[in-house]
Amino acid sequence: MAERSKNDIWISKATDWFGNQGWTPFAFQRQTWSAFLNNKNGLLNAPTGSGKTYALWFPILLEYLRKEEERPGSSSSGLKAVWITPLRALSEEIRQSAERIISDLGIPFTVGIRTGDTSQAERARQRKKMPDLLITTPESLQLLLASKGYARIFGKCFAVVVDEWHELLGSKRGVQMELALSRLKGVSPGMKIWGISATIGNLEQAREVLLGPGSEALENSILIRANLNKRITVRSILPETMDTFPWRGHLGLHLLDSVMEVLRSSQTTLIFTNTRSQCEIWFQKLLERYPELAGEIAMHHGSINKDTRLWVEQAIRNNRLKAVVCTSSLDLGVDFAPVERVIQIGGPKGVARFLQRAGRSGHRPGEESLIYFLPTHAIELIEASALKKTVKGEGIEDRIPYLNSFDVLVQYLTTLAVSDGFFPEQIFMEVQGTFCYQAMTRDQWEWLLKFLVLGSQSLNTYDEYKKVEVLEDGRFKVTNRGVAMRHRFQIGTIVGDADLTVRYQKGGYIGTVEEWFASQLQSGDVFTFAGRNLEFLRIREMQVLVRKSNKKTSRVPSWMGGRLTLSAQMSELLRQELYSASLPASDQSEEIRSLKQLFDRQRQESIVPGPEDFLIETFKTSDGYHHIFYPFEGRFVHEALASLLSYRISLLSPITFSLAYNDYGFELLSDRELDMQMVLDNDLFSPEYLMDDLQKSLNSTEMARRKFRDIAVISGLVFSGYPKKGIKLKHLQSSSQLLFEVFRDYEPDNLLFQQAFRETFEHQLEEGRLRLALERIQSQKHIWKSCTKPTPFSFPIITDRLREKLSSEKLADRIRRMTQKLSR
Amino acid sequence: MTQTVDFGGETLHLHPWGALYREAADQLLVSDLHLGKISHFRKHGAAVPLKATARNFERLDDLLDEFQPESIAFLGDLFHSYRNREWDDFAAWVKTCGTRLILIEGNHDILGPLPFEKLGIQVCATLQSGPFTYTHHPLQDFEGYNIAGHIHPAVRLTGEGRQSLRVPCFHFRNRQLILPAFGAFTGSHLMKIRSGDRIYALAGDAIFPLEAASLKNS
Repeated sequence: MAERSKNDIWISKATDWFGNQGWTPFAFQRQTWSAFLNNKNGLLNAPTGSGKTYALWFPILLEYLRKEEERPGSSSSGLKAVWITPLRALSEEIRQSAERIISDLGIPFTVGIRTGDTSQAERARQRKKMPDLLITTPESLQLLLASKGYARIFGKCFAVVVDEWHELLGSKRGVQMELALSRLKGVSPGMKIWGISATIGNLEQAREVLLGPGSEALENSILIRANLNKRITVRSILPETMDTFPWRGHLGLHLLDSVMEVLRSSQTTLIFTNTRSQCEIWFQKLLERYPELAGEIAMHHGSINKDTRLWVEQAIRNNRLKAVVCTSSLDLGVDFAPVERVIQIGGPKGVARFLQRAGRSGHRPGEESLIYFLPTHAIELIEASALKKTVKGEGIEDRIPYLNSFDVLVQYLTTLAVSDGFFPEQIFMEVQGTFCYQAMTRDQWEWLLKFLVLGSQSLNTYDEYKKVEVLEDGRFKVTNRGVAMRHRFQIGTIVGDADLTVRYQKGGYIGTVEEWFASQLQSGDVFTFAGRNLEFLRIREMQVLVRKSNKKTSRVPSWMGGRLTLSAQMSELLRQELYSASLPASDQSEEIRSLKQLFDRQRQESIVPGPEDFLIETFKTSDGYHHIFYPFEGRFVHEALASLLSYRISLLSPITFSLAYNDYGFELLSDRELDMQMVLDNDLFSPEYLMDDLQKSLNSTEMARRKFRDIAVISGLVFSGYPKKGIKLKHLQSSSQLLFEVFRDYEPDNLLFQQAFRETFEHQLEEGRLRLALERIQSQKHIWKSCTKPTPFSFPIITDRLREKLSSEKLADRIRRMTQKLSR
Repeated sequence: MTQTVDFGGETLHLHPWGALYREAADQLLVSDLHLGKISHFRKHGAAVPLKATARNFERLDDLLDEFQPESIAFLGDLFHSYRNREWDDFAAWVKTCGTRLILIEGNHDILGPLPFEKLGIQVCATLQSGPFTYTHHPLQDFEGYNIAGHIHPAVRLTGEGRQSLRVPCFHFRNRQLILPAFGAFTGSHLMKIRSGDRIYALAGDAIFPLEAASLKNS
């Protein structure tokens, strides 16, 4: 009790400070202060703009004051607390809030930022004397672990806060964070660990991943929920008549004028698009149609240069913009009070994301959030209707943490070997204490150590492999300077395709595009980027050189990373909405009613399936024979189902498929007609041998190949160079494709190679969800419709150009048939 | 299974692994082996499987058995980098192969002619042999016929049902022939196909002639 009242004295300092600003602390803020001062770890569930920064900066500073009072002058100089943010753009704001409290409470603290943008000089200064509070990113934290004497840097650090933990959780950056925390616990026992997360379905698990399963830290922790109960209203933007509503076309431009009406009625509007290319196009089209908007609207996405992005963010705060067209780049952090309206173009594919975006508007407490949903094609209206239901109830999806990501572990162990070296026994205990590696076996660990030291599992003294060495005292250490340098460059490259910077020929950085887009361009081609029309000149040293152009163009770079999928919860809601198509109009939502024409059209050749029906459609077009299946389970499940089903069919006779999927169904396209009756008779949807067949199907597709690309980069098998620093190591560049083939042919039991197969389906998609889907399909009535032409439901799928292929035919046979057909 | 083709008034045998046998000269031509590349990567900390280094020699031995040529001409980029352990493997292979060896130097052959000459290999920048000029880089202007490497040519095939395939190939255009890369750890480059080009696509243990008209120009 004495302890409690003592804490109250400290907490009253925070409450007073709030009072001086004319604020009252929220319950969750008080709870967090008190828990922290009682030496608890925890996870704080609070949305952006709720004052979560104050919830954690305060107790960190109060703890320092408490220590000082107990034993004046006992605190040594150096790092006291680290704040991790996944987005470096947010670091400035976090610093400002810390500095505000520090100066008001008169604490002699310095606050530093260390991210990819921090200058060399500043880094060197920090290395000499660390600030008391450090704001950094997961990657920069790893880099600190790669510098000599890191144990001393963190030795006196008593708190670490991981902001936006939900963002990191389902990614390999999250795994990186788990490993870093395991090490920090080792060098500074008793360090308090706190996470901050927006609402996700698996908050309890998020806490477990942050603190380590079964750990003391977890035992002594708390989950605090902000429960701010915000009212959210969803409105669909519907066309006046449905005659012209497209069956596909994910741009939504036909509703441009309706969007303009929303803009007119609001001070500032954020327009969220799902992909960067869609963002570019919307921005351009708005300006074309309404030239008076020039100077009043802006664009914001991850490939635009940082200064422009910062300028846009500031302009929103200063109330200088009517609208910003953006992508998920504005999902996180940054409080924008003037935003009154949010428009979501196209399905947001996830409830959590949708709610987060809705929450960007009406930021003041008690204010209602209003979000407009603009469907880009007819079937998305079903999604709109489902979303309206979700914001009323529950149904927020999980973020699924990775398991056994050996690539990240290889990178991490090399990091430790680069700085001070590591003793395997000690690190094994720490690593096994993390969520990601809790099930890692001794054998796997030994395999990894051998891989680091020998580059293989066989002891070959003749080999010249050089990476990590074992010193006499048993320490694993990188002694080669070149290896160390390349590793430092490579840390944190947990990204997709290689990015090329786009520059004007005369200088001036515009942003980045992915390599595969740049490689399609020919000199003289014009494309739209960052709201400008640019003429492509040439590629030089990882730079795309361009000049301004007045030519019109429809070419817009697209980024592969942008595809999203429906969560299980959302898929369920979507099915329920669809089934309401057969209800009387009076029992239908406005969206479903407006789709009447489409449903009528669908019924002409096929059916609108009900809860008992599993619909299969077949037809032929000039592309070949289409076989379409409609489980309505979301893209991830369909990806797996398509792979599974096509594999099982290919066992019956050699065949080649092109696979496409969306959130509603999937397609197997072939140059031959399938015997659908045979597919139905053979019970190919059986959940038996599910995982086994799925893994085998991967040998016939290229999905694992693509996964392997990231794994190869993260684990240092492929060196990507370091274009921004002007360092090219061309003689060490190889494509991960080549590497994949070499592993397949010569070292298929390599754990990193196998990880590619495991990750393709295991992550994001629990086996359970797939099994449930198959069981549901098995219990349904299979309705096969042989159609004469594409149906409205099939249209968005068959026109998708991002495809996977699966083949059980010999390469030679395929070529023979292609050449026969074409040279006819 | 090889394909025979008339070129420069001679009969050439194209092998699915990317080698070419010239009957008239009793000579085997291979290009772009990039030996040593794997060891080079390993030396720099990228653990490419070591076992893969053996394939090049196994395949060369099989080809020697099949064609029993009087000589082998390497059209450049024989050795990828500085000396490493694969050089020793190569030297050992040279001793046992029992065939006369010629190297047309390529841009990756940075070792210089000396180490090759010590092994008894004839090294030259270009070589005139019958109607053919052998070079590493394809020639722009030339008399007669040119056989070259360097490019690592490949083509993309497309078929019904949105099928598409990328395969390495022999590429004939007018009086020029470009050989595919023979090496185990080498990439490829998609060729822009013009009408009149003759393409032989490699597909594992088979090789296919293709009409230029049937290829998607990409």
